[in-house]
Amino acid sequence: MFGRSTRRSRIFYQVLATIMVAPFALPLFWIVAISFEGAGAAANYAAVFTQTPFVRFLFNSLVISAGTIALVFACTMLAGYALGKLRFAGRELIFTAILAGLMLPAVGLIVPLFIMVKQFGLFNNYLAVILPLTAVLLPMTILLTRNFVIGIPDELLDAARIDGATTFGTLIRIVVPLSRPIIAVVIVWAFLNSWNEFLLPLLFLQETSLQAVTQIPTYFTSTYGSDVPKIFAALVLMCLPIVVAYLAFQSFFERGLTAGALK
Amino acid sequence: MSQTVMIHSHQRPKSARPVSTRRRRQRELTAYLYLLPALLAVIGITYFGVLYNAWISTFDWNGIDPDPESVGLGNYLKIAGDPIFWSALAHIAIFGAITVAVQMAFGFSLALVLGGPIRGRAVYKAIVFIPVVLAPAAVSTAFRQFLRPDGQVNDVLAALGLGGLQHAWIADPDVALFALAAVNIFQWTGFSFILYQAALSQIDVNHLEAAQLDGAGTWRTILHIVIPQLRPTHLTLILMGVIGSLKTFDIVFLITGGGPGRSTEFLTTYIYKQSIMQFHVGYGAALSIVLLGLALLLTVVQTRLYKLEKEA
Repeated sequence: MFGRSTRRSRIFYQVLATIMVAPFALPLFWIVAISFEGAGAAANYAAVFTQTPFVRFLFNSLVISAGTIALVFACTMLAGYALGKLRFAGRELIFTAILAGLMLPAVGLIVPLFIMVKQFGLFNNYLAVILPLTAVLLPMTILLTRNFVIGIPDELLDAARIDGATTFGTLIRIVVPLSRPIIAVVIVWAFLNSWNEFLLPLLFLQETSLQAVTQIPTYFTSTYGSDVPKIFAALVLMCLPIVVAYLAFQSFFERGLTAGALK
Repeated sequence: MSQTVMIHSHQRPKSARPVSTRRRRQRELTAYLYLLPALLAVIGITYFGVLYNAWISTFDWNGIDPDPESVGLGNYLKIAGDPIFWSALAHIAIFGAITVAVQMAFGFSLALVLGGPIRGRAVYKAIVFIPVVLAPAAVSTAFRQFLRPDGQVNDVLAALGLGGLQHAWIADPDVALFALAAVNIFQWTGFSFILYQAALSQIDVNHLEAAQLDGAGTWRTILHIVIPQLRPTHLTLILMGVIGSLKTFDIVFLITGGGPGRSTEFLTTYIYKQSIMQFHVGYGAALSIVLLGLALLLTVVQTRLYKLEKEA
């Protein structure tokens, strides 16, 4: 698009790109740099592990993420398969009904959620976070999966049926293996949203031993006041899993985050 | 379950018609069964939540009183006359306009420039996209520090000779909303960038070469050929940005808490304060219904637009 790449134009682009990326690089650099200040890197990071329930928070977030991913995955595959390949009355109506929830923010549901959680005695229970998260994530994951499953050739499913496979057998042996690309997107989407969720744990997991990693900054600020380097050490640690996951599965993350926008 | 269904239908292959209708009915039953978990979650939580919200919104309720007073549409009338509600909408509009415009322009420029002859493109790309995957809670905490009067942002401004632009970003009600917009831009430009990058790779190269052969410069090619061809991406980003600003909660709650004063109050933070902190549960529910209504309206607009785009 930009004609021949002469030496001058290459330098020009390199400099321009560096300047444009700086507003993103600098804050990321600062986060790590500040965590090394004060008592020093080793002391700061050690303090996070030894003086705070950080490991416990990490474990809680892992449970919430694993639970959400499992539930979203199961509901999505079953529903996506049914909506994409099975014939039944009211299919379009049910699909539209699920899609209506596509953009609804969980914060708009805090009053009823609060009352429901109280009613079912789910305060300080992981389910109080996992279930609403699943409900909010499903419209998007079902939309993506249904659109993907529709593209699987009917001949493959018919062949399986003629071979005597049950509907469920077809789902497990044909649809799931062929849907791997979209399954990766669904899992990434569910992981990202559950790991980064702030509001629901804030509302429903008030016991310190049950809080999620996103509560760490608040917990630290109230407990350790302004020991900024230690807070930043905790920030680095809470971001590490998701950054490592992103770097390892870049294309899935990029597709996972943009798939909803492109469909 | 479906196993038994199939065996059952094999066992009785009597006359053709009844079997096929029975089989069809059984297959329909299987389909409904498969939809049950998803429907339980979506209807049991989202739909029920919305309806429950609507019902609660007709009461003057503190969340505890077993016999709350019904006020009909009173809460909605109160909203219509609530200056905090209207200023929250104005904040969302300003925040949305700034973040959408800047993120689009910035993301597009990055996609263009990083499409040029660059060494270490993958690293640049990762740096721009990493903020998108970070927890807003972490980003907010970091920026609370960066935006302090003696923080990193003011240091950079001073180093660039722009000391006159230094502010107490979070404490000054005149600039706090813009500071929040900047944080949002840091976090979400990578999203616009990736979408534009994907869209740019789809553009017909012949078109561009033809334009350049015709003597159109780089700028004119971008302006008259590239930008119009990216129309669907622009639309997507505008809609997602508007919906996103309506939903924004974490960064506002954690950086300014809606303050100083009410200068950065959003609908979401107002709902949180009313229903959780001040026990105005009925009023909070009514505000939630307004928020959900706006979100639903935008979803409908979005799906309509996509349909129009596909047909065009």
